[in-house]
Amino acid sequence: MGVRVTGIGIVSAIGLTVGENLRALREGKSGIGPVRYLEGAKASLAGEVKMSNSELADELGLAAGPVSRTSLLGLKAAREAWGDNKRSGVIRTGIISATSVGGMDRSEVFYQDYLNKTNPDYDLLKTHDSGSTTERIAAELGISGYINTLSTACSSGANAIMLGARLILQGKLDRVLVGGSDALARFTIDGFRSLMIYDDQWCRPFDESRSGLNLGEGAAFLLLENTKSFALTGNRTLCEVSGWANAADAYHQTASSPEGKGATMAIENAIEKSGLNINDISYVNAHGTGTKNNDLSESVALKNVFGNRIPPFSSTKAFTGHTLAAAGAIEAVFSVLSIQNNLIYPNLNYKTAIEETGLVPVTRLESGNVVNAVLSNSFGFGGNNSSLVFTRHE
Amino acid sequence: MNKPEFYISAASTISHLPTFKNVGFSSVIGPLEANSVLITPDYKGYIEAGLLRRMSKILRMSVACANDCLEQAGVEQPDAIVVGTGLGCLQDTEKFLNTSQTIEGLLPPTAFIQSTHNTMAGQVSLTIGNHGYNMTHTQNTLSFEHAMLDAMMLLQEGDSHILVGAADEYIEILTEIMAQLAPGQDGPMTSGSSFFVLSKERNEQALAVVKDVATIGLVEDVQQNVGDFMADNALTIEDLDLILYAGKDNFPGNAVDYLALSGIYSTASAFALHYAVDVFQTDKKISNVLICNSLRKSNLGLMLVRAVEA
Repeated sequence: MGVRVTGIGIVSAIGLTVGENLRALREGKSGIGPVRYLEGAKASLAGEVKMSNSELADELGLAAGPVSRTSLLGLKAAREAWGDNKRSGVIRTGIISATSVGGMDRSEVFYQDYLNKTNPDYDLLKTHDSGSTTERIAAELGISGYINTLSTACSSGANAIMLGARLILQGKLDRVLVGGSDALARFTIDGFRSLMIYDDQWCRPFDESRSGLNLGEGAAFLLLENTKSFALTGNRTLCEVSGWANAADAYHQTASSPEGKGATMAIENAIEKSGLNINDISYVNAHGTGTKNNDLSESVALKNVFGNRIPPFSSTKAFTGHTLAAAGAIEAVFSVLSIQNNLIYPNLNYKTAIEETGLVPVTRLESGNVVNAVLSNSFGFGGNNSSLVFTRHE
Repeated sequence: MNKPEFYISAASTISHLPTFKNVGFSSVIGPLEANSVLITPDYKGYIEAGLLRRMSKILRMSVACANDCLEQAGVEQPDAIVVGTGLGCLQDTEKFLNTSQTIEGLLPPTAFIQSTHNTMAGQVSLTIGNHGYNMTHTQNTLSFEHAMLDAMMLLQEGDSHILVGAADEYIEILTEIMAQLAPGQDGPMTSGSSFFVLSKERNEQALAVVKDVATIGLVEDVQQNVGDFMADNALTIEDLDLILYAGKDNFPGNAVDYLALSGIYSTASAFALHYAVDVFQTDKKISNVLICNSLRKSNLGLMLVRAVEA
């Protein structure tokens, strides 16, 4: 049994709304470019959201006071997903967000001034803890009670959706806003540089010549509802989230196992949970970061699960950059749009298949076939692997 | 409808008091003294030397407590590993922040790798080779309660044994920060980690029964919510033999401020849960215990536990 998705909201490098994101996906237009907004970034290319902090705060009508970019992006996407839904005394409503570094974009500004002894603003640290973004969004939308934040690195956003669906199926909540938000930070850019997996050229997921990722930033939220809530709100069902699984790779703190063990388990179990057959999957939105290690391991996992009948697949990371904890949520919105519009997105910057696996992703927009079920993969540090299945609502 | 109950089959805590491998600690410990320090076991007994060298305080505490728990419960592989942490791996986060702002050129990656909040759960899965569900909750002072709720749902969904725990670590800069942001805060900031094995069925190892857990974010009326929670479990405040609380709430009867024992950290309610479990082993008169976590005023965490009937 699936859970209804009745609202979506997104802000990413390719657009500030669902409509803008869909248009860029259709046009094959990447949002990755030279860094314009983040000061002091040691990266030549990144997927920035094309709005400054003050523009975001103005648009959101926020009062003065410390607010992280992670919160600004999260608020913007959450508002779009929430739409004109109202708080309710009878619908038990919760929120689950995901982030990898919380308000690090502010904390690192504080810390630099702290080290330099140049009058550091301690108030900036009020937004450091990961839960603060979620509480801020909850307060704004009038949500109280179940307010939670997950942080499992790059799979966080997918895990928020999974947890939301489980809470609904277990009858703990009637309605839950789920998603994730992560702002670009010097901390994460330097981190991926230290691992020598930050590409100074365009990232090239699933290409033999791939040599790392481009970071991105953004946020996305989905509104999930049960029958009771749905009957009261009258919202339109966009699709269903019908399968999910989380498995640990238990191989290495940052690297994925060469045999794709955790990824294989996550994909297999998510499809099994959805009640679908592997042949029913119309499209795979891959994690596909563009690192040597992830794309090989994920390709092996796809072969493990689908054998020689691998569904059309692509990574959209070359559009948005890798948005870390937001990635699972952003790609979930892309999966919903895929089903709604029967679209399979191109894997930008691909030329040559990975030698070991020979898998060829979709390289041109496909709009000629019905998309009934999408598998979305999110794999992270710590061996945290998660997969979700979205299906057309019949 | 009867709510399902779950069993705690193992508990392990590293704190500023002699809690580790010390059944009965609840009857011998007193409030923390000024300048107390973390009491650590010989980690070599729990963590391989090569790994241990690179591990920060929070990782050492977590992996040692996790392994101790699994040993106590006689569970080789739990079905899932669920961890709550309020502020995550602060030591490595600050270390990497520092090097990235002071060193030019290629930076050593270890601190970055170990800075993410899910490092504890990830390291536990790595050390025991566990491929199950692996999750990290981080909702400041309610992070542990959220981990517990997740673990209870997993047991409802068919799992048998969940390793569920919490950890937060103190670093020096916190003292400066809190002096600026929350002047006059009483009580020392500390580090601590507690892990538990939560089981679906009662077994020989059962130490306590978890009746219910609730989190109320952006809470307005604590007393009202506590009353509703008790009513939901067909109990009243008067039925409680012990209330473990954090914050400034006033409770009737036998009430203990657990922050005086644990010190202040985001997931100190996990310490309180172990304290309750330990009380059940030493004082047979205590049956129903409520842990009421208002460490942060806007957040309310409630955990209702009871002794295992003989």
